[in-house]
Amino acid sequence: MNFLAPAAFAFAASLPAVVLFYLLKRKRVVRVVPSTLLWQRFLAETQASAPLQRLRQNWLLWLQLLMLALVILALARPYFSGQAGEASLQVVILDASASMQATDVTPSRFESARAGALKLVDGLKTGFGEKNQQMLVMVAGANAEVRQSASSEKAALRRALTAAEVTDSSTRLAEALRVAETLTRDRPDAEVHLFSDGAGVDLSEFAAKELRLVFHRVGERAENAGIVTMDVKANPENPAQRAVFASVANYSATPRDVRLELSFDGELRATRSLSLGPTNTTPVALVADQARDGVFTLKLIGKDDLAADDEARVVSLLPQPIRVVLVTKGNRFLEKALKAAAPNLELAVLADYADPSVKADVYVIDDVTPSVWPAGNVLAMNVAPTNWFPEAGAGMIEAPPIVDWRQTHPLLRFVSFDNVQIASARGVRLPTWAVSLVDAPQSPLIVAGELGRQRVVWVGFDALQSTWPLRIGFPIFVANAVDWLNPATAKAELFALRAGDAFRLPLGDFVGGGATLATVTKPDGTVRELKLDPQARELVFGETPRQGLYRVTLGTNQLTLAANLLDSQESNIRPRETLSLGKYTEVTATKQKRADLERWRWFALGALAVLMVEWWWYHRRTA
Amino acid sequence: MSALITADLMRRLEQLQLLAARRAKSSTKGERRSRARGLSVEFADHRNYVIGDDLRYLDWNLYGRLDRLFLKLYEEERELPVRVFLDASASMNFGSPAKFTFARQLAAAMGYVALCGFDRVGVNVFPEPSGEDAGREVAIRGALRSVRSKRSAMAFFQNLAALTAGGTADFNASLKRGAQEARQAGVAVVLSDFLDPAGYEAGLTSLIGRGFQVHAIQILSPEELKPTTFGDLRLIDSESGAETEVTFGKFRLAAYQQSVANYVQRLREYCRSRGIRFFSVNSATDLSVLLLKQLRAQEVWA
Repeated sequence: MNFLAPAAFAFAASLPAVVLFYLLKRKRVVRVVPSTLLWQRFLAETQASAPLQRLRQNWLLWLQLLMLALVILALARPYFSGQAGEASLQVVILDASASMQATDVTPSRFESARAGALKLVDGLKTGFGEKNQQMLVMVAGANAEVRQSASSEKAALRRALTAAEVTDSSTRLAEALRVAETLTRDRPDAEVHLFSDGAGVDLSEFAAKELRLVFHRVGERAENAGIVTMDVKANPENPAQRAVFASVANYSATPRDVRLELSFDGELRATRSLSLGPTNTTPVALVADQARDGVFTLKLIGKDDLAADDEARVVSLLPQPIRVVLVTKGNRFLEKALKAAAPNLELAVLADYADPSVKADVYVIDDVTPSVWPAGNVLAMNVAPTNWFPEAGAGMIEAPPIVDWRQTHPLLRFVSFDNVQIASARGVRLPTWAVSLVDAPQSPLIVAGELGRQRVVWVGFDALQSTWPLRIGFPIFVANAVDWLNPATAKAELFALRAGDAFRLPLGDFVGGGATLATVTKPDGTVRELKLDPQARELVFGETPRQGLYRVTLGTNQLTLAANLLDSQESNIRPRETLSLGKYTEVTATKQKRADLERWRWFALGALAVLMVEWWWYHRRTA
Repeated sequence: MSALITADLMRRLEQLQLLAARRAKSSTKGERRSRARGLSVEFADHRNYVIGDDLRYLDWNLYGRLDRLFLKLYEEERELPVRVFLDASASMNFGSPAKFTFARQLAAAMGYVALCGFDRVGVNVFPEPSGEDAGREVAIRGALRSVRSKRSAMAFFQNLAALTAGGTADFNASLKRGAQEARQAGVAVVLSDFLDPAGYEAGLTSLIGRGFQVHAIQILSPEELKPTTFGDLRLIDSESGAETEVTFGKFRLAAYQQSVANYVQRLREYCRSRGIRFFSVNSATDLSVLLLKQLRAQEVWA
């Protein structure tokens, strides 16, 4: 037990005063009686004649001393804790990510973290002329939000904490810590209290040695299975059908039997029972017919601690034929690869692209400079750098060695550049809109990116002057490129978002302009109306903390967007004992109960009770 | 009529007669049987005639039979002196009605019964008067010293009514002196609260030793028997001025009453062991009940 106001113990000087009062004789009512003989007989006690009397056993005295002691204790504002937080500013960061919904601690990790933070508020030292401690409350859900700026007012802090809500989004603590770091930069004694389970926290990019971070870990176990990926593709075996690919992960240490249910717009289409090995991820493919645009929902039936990852949904649009225009002097490898790229691909081969009225979904330009640049998505191979590359490159590079390629990019999925030799390549500088997919030491060889609304893949060498077309990676790359460049893919991506991310709708694509009002129906049924600027080209909506379907009405158009968690890091709800900050720093979860609980109210209540007992006792004696 | 006792009560008291356990030893003629030989209608004994005896008391029948002169002796009827010891100390002024008033009423009733029975009544008032009216007080007490005959009853009552109480009594000394001063022993009635720090034993013993037949009547006020003042009290003795501090609450009332009862019981046992008739009276009791029932039942009078 410690005291917030130990100065109040000065009041203990009043304790001897009570004893002194008992030593002093009491002021009495004077009465003349016929004879005190009977009274003297009645009183066996001897009466002292000195002003002080012998201190007799008197319950009233003890009660009063006890009451006074309690009052002094209450004034000293005791609190119970292992250690007092001495920081002048405490930044409380409450992790509101999906894994905090786990119910392994009752009622949930988030509530437990909130309770811990509220105790921290209770322990805040305020008042009594001391250095006031301040606290700042941040909630790190989809974004880091400062819910209460630095304040000493406990009521406001409690209100901010009570109002915080958990979200379905991934953990984004780095942002919150960065804000906290900024806020505490000129307060060297500031402390950052992070209430989190540590699941899905990636702070490897974050390095702040000065930050005094206290990690309050919540959560006990990892009894969870969840859907971590989900995608809808054309069934490769039957183009008329749709295949739903998903990964189901079991993060508990014991095997789990679960059932998967696939429904389309609410109608059950397929079920599958799965036995998940401990800490294993099982891929699942389910096939279903699809006659119209709709939503595939995948549900995981089985009891676990986290419900947020037991459901995922994907907006699936009916597959449309892909029209591809190939402008080439002749490239059989490319032509064959394109034909094999997709089952419903319509290929037109041109020597030159001169007529802009020939529309296609994807334009492939191979070693030709077309008369007119097509306006759509372009795969350009060995085309002289145009205005895509504003800066002068390194000229022609002879036999550039391939040193690295970005395997994680969707364009290079299953594509390997092992054993690929190139005769020569055009040296360029990487433009700001693109990322480099394949690198030579002197120059990027393949870049991809989005230029305005246009997706561009640029290959800086002649495929025919390389060994690439002979490798298996080439047709896969072409298929990937067609898929990536296909506007329908982009559209499908538009409809799939991660909970907590803002969605951006390019207005021109969906409404002919003029719509001034958009309504968004959230998963919980609430409707949000958005006023649109007629000049606006994009609709941005950020209130997507919960997963589910967001239905957007724009004029006469209705769009459905699916927000999902789909985060294996988040589904792995195993509480982490340590957090790694950057490369070298680690923060271990604090074991201390830093619940600096002020208890003065109890002492004051006790004092009141004793006062009442004393009052009753006194009246019993004399009444 | 007297303020002390009502006419009705007086009428009923006239029918009573004080009972004496022993023969009167007074030298004055009265209506009580005594050991003395004298003139009355009760025959007592014969004795030989000696020259000079009154011839009227010769027993001529006996002379006729025995041819010797005998004188018939008759019992001399003497008076029974009744001595009332009246406590007039300051403590008797308390109570409602005041203990002193009650004591004077008792003294008046006792005295009236005695006067009606042709007995001599003397009232010993103690302590000695002091203060401004001491002279008048002494005169009144002197008049009460010895009263005889029913005619004096009114004056007796008036003198009693004029008495005032005050000062500090020395109970034992007063009774001892009264016992020594009395020419003849008789009935002694002690009217007091018996609350003397020095005790009561010596005084009562001296009366017994002088041959008095003692009736002790303790008069306590209702306030003494059941106090109504509570809280932290500083009690001052009305006579000695001694202070006693006490914290008194209702919950201690029973304990107080028990200690009072103990005190009275000790006094009662002391009296019984010495043949003293003892009564403890609340000054608020009905006088007629005490006089006509209780004292009668205890054979103080009949």
